[in-house]
Amino acid sequence: MPGFNFDNYQRNNFLASKGYPIPKATSTGTTIVGCRFDGGVVIAADTRATEGDIVADKNCEKLHRISPTIWCAGAGTAADCEFVTQLMSSTLELHALSTGRKPRVVTCLTLLKQHLFKYQGHVGAYLIVAGVDPTGPRLFSIHAHGSTDVGYYLSLGSGSMAAMAVLETKWKQSLTKDEAMSLCAEAIEAGIWNDLGSGSNVDMCVMEVDKPAVLYRNYRTPNERSIKEKSYKFARGTTAVLKEKIRPVVDAVQFDIFEETIIRDSDKMEIDS
Amino acid sequence: MADRYSFSLTTFSPSGKLVQIEYAFQAVNQGVTSLGIKASNGVVLATEKKSTSDLIDASSLSKISNITPDIGMVYSGMGPDFRVLVDKARKSSHTNYKRIYNEYPPTRILVEDVARTMQEATQSGGVRPYGVSLLVGGHDVDNEFSLYQVDPSGTYFPWKATAIGKGSTSAKTFLEKRWTEDLELEDAIHIALLTLKESVEGEMNGNTVEIGVIGPVSDHLLGFEGVKNVQGPRFRKLSPQEIDDRLDAL
Repeated sequence: MPGFNFDNYQRNNFLASKGYPIPKATSTGTTIVGCRFDGGVVIAADTRATEGDIVADKNCEKLHRISPTIWCAGAGTAADCEFVTQLMSSTLELHALSTGRKPRVVTCLTLLKQHLFKYQGHVGAYLIVAGVDPTGPRLFSIHAHGSTDVGYYLSLGSGSMAAMAVLETKWKQSLTKDEAMSLCAEAIEAGIWNDLGSGSNVDMCVMEVDKPAVLYRNYRTPNERSIKEKSYKFARGTTAVLKEKIRPVVDAVQFDIFEETIIRDSDKMEIDS
Repeated sequence: MADRYSFSLTTFSPSGKLVQIEYAFQAVNQGVTSLGIKASNGVVLATEKKSTSDLIDASSLSKISNITPDIGMVYSGMGPDFRVLVDKARKSSHTNYKRIYNEYPPTRILVEDVARTMQEATQSGGVRPYGVSLLVGGHDVDNEFSLYQVDPSGTYFPWKATAIGKGSTSAKTFLEKRWTEDLELEDAIHIALLTLKESVEGEMNGNTVEIGVIGPVSDHLLGFEGVKNVQGPRFRKLSPQEIDDRLDAL
């Protein structure tokens, strides 16, 4: 039977009341943007994934490929974005093989919204879908309940307002590719710095008419860990050894190996580096 | 009611044969010749694009189809049956493999799936066997290049080089003499064209002959850049111009 199974709803409510709430799904916190320019469209995203207050992934990939020239930025529940995007990618590929035509952004949009509406918002995917197809460059956004918007510049996610502030200030009609790229990077950075749910790096994808789409993974890395000013290694002898006992656990056996991997510094235990 | 067609139309004869399948083979043998050759660095699939009239738009029909970016298929026999099998193979490569294992199926797995579909048509109610033999060429990381034939019975064989359809017997003899272990893709294409020439009745040019190749990755055909660990498709159809160039060199 299609759709979600809500059998455990009562059980989950009971457990929550007893102090065992459902663990928070990894959210993409997120700042994502999309922007049209003359001859194409560009999307960008930050790379922080959060589990409540904890940063689960410092460099996750929020830009998903639906078809070679249709890419999608996802905010909301990370797994939902990933899976719904992969399902669309597979469906669109089969559709393109069947029609003998390159897939269209509007097709992807329609398939997505019909899928998300069916699940009444329980599939927590908030997406910015963009691409170029035989009808030209397209930019759309979709919300988890199935509503869609069209625009020349869009932003979604917890950092959407920080990003939109930048977009509203600096966007103009007839942007060049480079202008659009730096505008989007700036908009994402606004989210990285000012929104706690977003951080780390900027990923970007540029889709230009009649050219292959280009993914710029980590287009900007304004949060690289700097070299520590002091070495925090402990000198040998800091911990006094009181007793030493070696127990043979494994019989060493001679093996013929094709590859030798030399592990350097295996006798040094680095506490902090 | 549905019960009227719940019995199989393919039944055993007293001699132990399944006559419907034998007849299906007949349908295949009346079909236009197709051949496949496995080289050390690729697989070639070739067939003649026989049209009943010059008014037919040859470019709109494709006898060699790709199933996944690395697997292609050609047939001899009934075109509509091939079409249906291609559609099923394409869908199944996603629903029964890629959506589960997150990669495209290796050639043999895909072949087994198609073979199972064809076998089911010999043991199900109300359907007839498929009137095609298929040649499936593909590449995967573990087995590299491979060529398989699938018959209406659902049997499949791996081949180094083979032909199916009308001129298959003489074509196979021809191939037996010319196939060597260290053939390169270009040599294989050359031999394929020579072999086809023997069985083609009308004119042989880039528009009457179809050649599909599973060869080196074509990263320029990917459609996007900047993604690590992703390769372009290996399946590629030769354009009519490319075929004409090679025919001139024959």
